[in-house]
Amino acid sequence: MALLEVTGASVRFGGLTAVNEVSFQAEPGEVRALIGPNGAGKTTLFKAIAGEEPLSGGAVLFQGAPIHALTPHEISARGVRRTFQNGGLFGDLTALENVLAGLHTRIPSSFGGLLLGTRAAKAAEREGTRKARALLEMMGIPHVADQWARELSGGQRRMVEIVRALATDPPLLLLDEPAVGLSPPARAELLKVIRRLVEEEKIAVLLIEHAIEFVMTVCDTLMVLNDGELIAEGPPEEVRRNREVLEAYLGR
Amino acid sequence: MKLTRSVFWLLPLAALALPLLVNPYHQYVINLILVYVVVGVGFNIVVGNLGQLAFSNVAFFGIGAYASAIFTTQLGVPWWLTVVPAGAVGAIAGCAASIPALRGVRLFYLAIMTLAFGELMRWSYIRTPSLTGGSMGLTVPPAELFGQVLESEAQKFYVFLVIVVVVVVAVGRLLESRIGRAFLAIKNDERAAAAMAVPTGRYFVLAFASSGFVVGVGGAMYAALVGHLSPEAFDLVQLILHFAIIMVGGLGSLVGSILGAVLITATPELFRDWPGFEELMFGVVIVLVILFLPRGLASLLAKVHPIFRDRYLRED
Repeated sequence: MALLEVTGASVRFGGLTAVNEVSFQAEPGEVRALIGPNGAGKTTLFKAIAGEEPLSGGAVLFQGAPIHALTPHEISARGVRRTFQNGGLFGDLTALENVLAGLHTRIPSSFGGLLLGTRAAKAAEREGTRKARALLEMMGIPHVADQWARELSGGQRRMVEIVRALATDPPLLLLDEPAVGLSPPARAELLKVIRRLVEEEKIAVLLIEHAIEFVMTVCDTLMVLNDGELIAEGPPEEVRRNREVLEAYLGR
Repeated sequence: MKLTRSVFWLLPLAALALPLLVNPYHQYVINLILVYVVVGVGFNIVVGNLGQLAFSNVAFFGIGAYASAIFTTQLGVPWWLTVVPAGAVGAIAGCAASIPALRGVRLFYLAIMTLAFGELMRWSYIRTPSLTGGSMGLTVPPAELFGQVLESEAQKFYVFLVIVVVVVVAVGRLLESRIGRAFLAIKNDERAAAAMAVPTGRYFVLAFASSGFVVGVGGAMYAALVGHLSPEAFDLVQLILHFAIIMVGGLGSLVGSILGAVLITATPELFRDWPGFEELMFGVVIVLVILFLPRGLASLLAKVHPIFRDRYLRED
């Protein structure tokens, strides 16, 4: 059983077919990259997996169970976490509080307990804070913990967003253009982080990316989407030589 | 010695001496400030923390006030036993007011719909004279606590002070927990909040209901303070007052709601001897604060010491 199983997924907006019967599977411990020209349907497919866009046909199974009829927060609670192409961080919260927001479902403090200030509720909050600090430390950015998210640099934002998405140890991470706007050293750092997560923690990563060199080095499997259809899938070097891909994507 | 938030307890303790220092009229104004502290704290949950442009606050305020008054006049319940039920009725109104937001109505559309809710309530007070006394208003019997009539403003003050402390502590606990973070997450980016497994719809209802409860309690205090309710007390001027309190104090700030209530309620009183000047000063204060402190008075305090910051995480 694959971790993520997309079968014949279609998304239609009126007469326009944005995603047309796409099928693929993702396994733990692999990075899958999704590339394709603008308007190919990459983001729509992503949104469909995350529950933000309803499927017009087909199915999305996560850990063997269908998730395409669930709401985004239910899908997230099951362990599919995502980052956003832009924005995404909560600017009115500090970096640490952003990670705490990622831990929302893992802090077992109840409404009543919080109101009454019970020992259990306080302990749950304290434990969450300790865990969030430890996560920032582990990813090498403990120094940004108490800064407002709106005041972080682009690279720091991206890292905090990834820490936040990873806070609950999700089996599947969806990254929407993680390398965009990052400096070459920040990209190298991001690459290292993603590879470590996949190799050591055995999570599955599905990412959309335009920076082709980044994609080639980070992914195990490359998928190419064109006009809503999956036109190629395989190891990056192999896909790179595919004639159809060259025509559609690289324009050669 | 490290300064912690426990120093805040000195404030209500010091306030205990206030009735010894002021005349009954000033005591009335101070009581009114306490009412508006509760109203501001409640209003700020939806506007400042959840980040929704919802103006249903005056409806919650009026509903709480009339609920308390009706429980007293029609059912003979002593005032102190109507405070929590008035909050509960406010919370139900809060759930109702969250429906447009749950259906995706935002910004100006939400503002106008929630504004209409307030006006609709005002119309209802006028149209149900058997319950509310209609446009003539409703006279509320003197407030009672454990069979004791709260005759003086000083007596009301002590009861109000207890309510304010309970409300501020309870709301403070909520706002600096995962619940408060979920509200702010929704305010900043609803889609990202849902992606963090925050059930956004449930949190909308929770914020509106909590806000309705707190402001409903404020309404019950108001009924006890003024002794007579009339529909025009719950008009757009009332809404502007509420809005001014949280804008001047600081959107999303608990400390701000308190500071805003003090400044906005006290300013016109300071200029009471110069008729016409009070409205002018009211306007001047709002303009000055918003111009020079766009994040409200609370932002100024937050720079003084971290204990004034809104969320002070539990650690160690």
